[in-house]
Amino acid sequence: MDLCHHLEKLKAQRYLFGLLVAGVTVWSFLVPDAAMFQHPEFARIFFWHIPCPINQQIFMLVGAYFALAFFLTPQSDLRKRMLCDSRAEAALDLSMIFAVLTIVSGMIFSQVEWGIYWDWDPRQYSYLIVVLIIGAYFAVRAAFPDPERRASHSSAYVLTATLPVFFLVFVFPYLPGIENNSLHPSGTIFGGGLKGDYLYVFLTVLTLVTWISVWLYRMRVRANFLEFELANGQLEIHRSLAAPATVVRPVSVSDENGKQTESPRKADQGVSGRE
Amino acid sequence: MNSSWPAEIRAILWKEFAGELRSRTGLVTGGLFCLVTIVTAATALFNEDVNKRGLRDVCCSQIWVIVLFAAVLTLPRTFLAEEEQGTSDLLRLTARPHAVFWGKAIFNLIQTAALALLVAGLFVGLTGLEVRYPAMFLLCLLSGGAAMTGIVTACGAIASRAANRTLLAGAIALPLIIAPCQWGVAGLRSATGAGFPQDGWMAMLGLCAYAALTLLIAPWIYATIWKS
Repeated sequence: MDLCHHLEKLKAQRYLFGLLVAGVTVWSFLVPDAAMFQHPEFARIFFWHIPCPINQQIFMLVGAYFALAFFLTPQSDLRKRMLCDSRAEAALDLSMIFAVLTIVSGMIFSQVEWGIYWDWDPRQYSYLIVVLIIGAYFAVRAAFPDPERRASHSSAYVLTATLPVFFLVFVFPYLPGIENNSLHPSGTIFGGGLKGDYLYVFLTVLTLVTWISVWLYRMRVRANFLEFELANGQLEIHRSLAAPATVVRPVSVSDENGKQTESPRKADQGVSGRE
Repeated sequence: MNSSWPAEIRAILWKEFAGELRSRTGLVTGGLFCLVTIVTAATALFNEDVNKRGLRDVCCSQIWVIVLFAAVLTLPRTFLAEEEQGTSDLLRLTARPHAVFWGKAIFNLIQTAALALLVAGLFVGLTGLEVRYPAMFLLCLLSGGAAMTGIVTACGAIASRAANRTLLAGAIALPLIIAPCQWGVAGLRSATGAGFPQDGWMAMLGLCAYAALTLLIAPWIYATIWKS
């Protein structure tokens, strides 16, 4: 009953989310064109491009927080430590997705405004390095088959990588020699570059993207932790969903005279046939 | 465990030096890698009409590319060799994690500084690269080397117990040291007369901050995975 109710709720949320996305997309085309762009009508990709790095950074921070929490939790509390690891992994998963989306949407934006998909602009390659750093986290995870060692070593890597990631996103693009040579605009959000309807559409899209990412994050954490509990035999499966405790395989056996008897399945069928 | 911190760090450092002098893996691999790359770069530039500015840009970036790859090849070995030789458990019984990390990091620091100075010296000697601010040039090389050492040593420690440890150490360290490498190139370009000297000093300060932060965080991280 609970499961049905949950699925119904999920379905309703999905429809609501779809409706809101459609609505905000229409709204984004109704707002006046932005100034200072070569093709202002195409600059609307901005609404979907900017929420991606914001969410990427938020999830990177969440990942680092849970990596730290993993080390601060006593070793005796394995369950809590693994929950921290599940959360860190889920956060890094989403951070990776948003980093890739940032690069892809940025490339489309770049083609429209600068006439080239990849310009080796400092913002572009600094983000590419961020993708490589997050990718290396998954390489570390893949290298350790033991769950506890995987958790501790990947958490150590997240903590090592957090500083370079924040440097690449928040410091490097704003260095004097870099900022002046980059085509990428800076200070659009915090410098007051967004006003009126543009700001409202942007905030709505940001809220929607954050909503779906939080939903995905929670599902991923649940899946990760269930995997861990299943592997450790701690998961309690509902009796109706559980596999039978014993498996009867049909085998042919010979009696004393060398005559083959019926397999259990055949015998079973025979009984039901007689009935 | 009754010995003092400096004594433990010194013991680890001497152990690393003794091991290196016995096998000469780092010296041979790093030195050969540097020489081969410089000869390749010089061959590629032979008879090419490269102006002074072009030569400066090529040399400054080449120096850091060589140091970067030499560091990735040689530095993680300090941790990887312990696992390969089966001596890591003994080390765990006899020393504290911070002392082990610092002993190995200091050894790596000396190795990187020697490699960076060798590469830069060869470039200056062989290509006629003009160094306008020698102090800035030297400090950029040393601070950049320290920043790389912090990151690569930490990555070596993280990867040391993985099955594919040598490959993994390089793969996870490379993206993390591209940023200090970028600063290093900017610093060397300023030291050789490109742009303003202030930019060079800024780059050097950035490298120092990066090195200090990584070398402060890395021992703590190493201590957390020490007995896992």
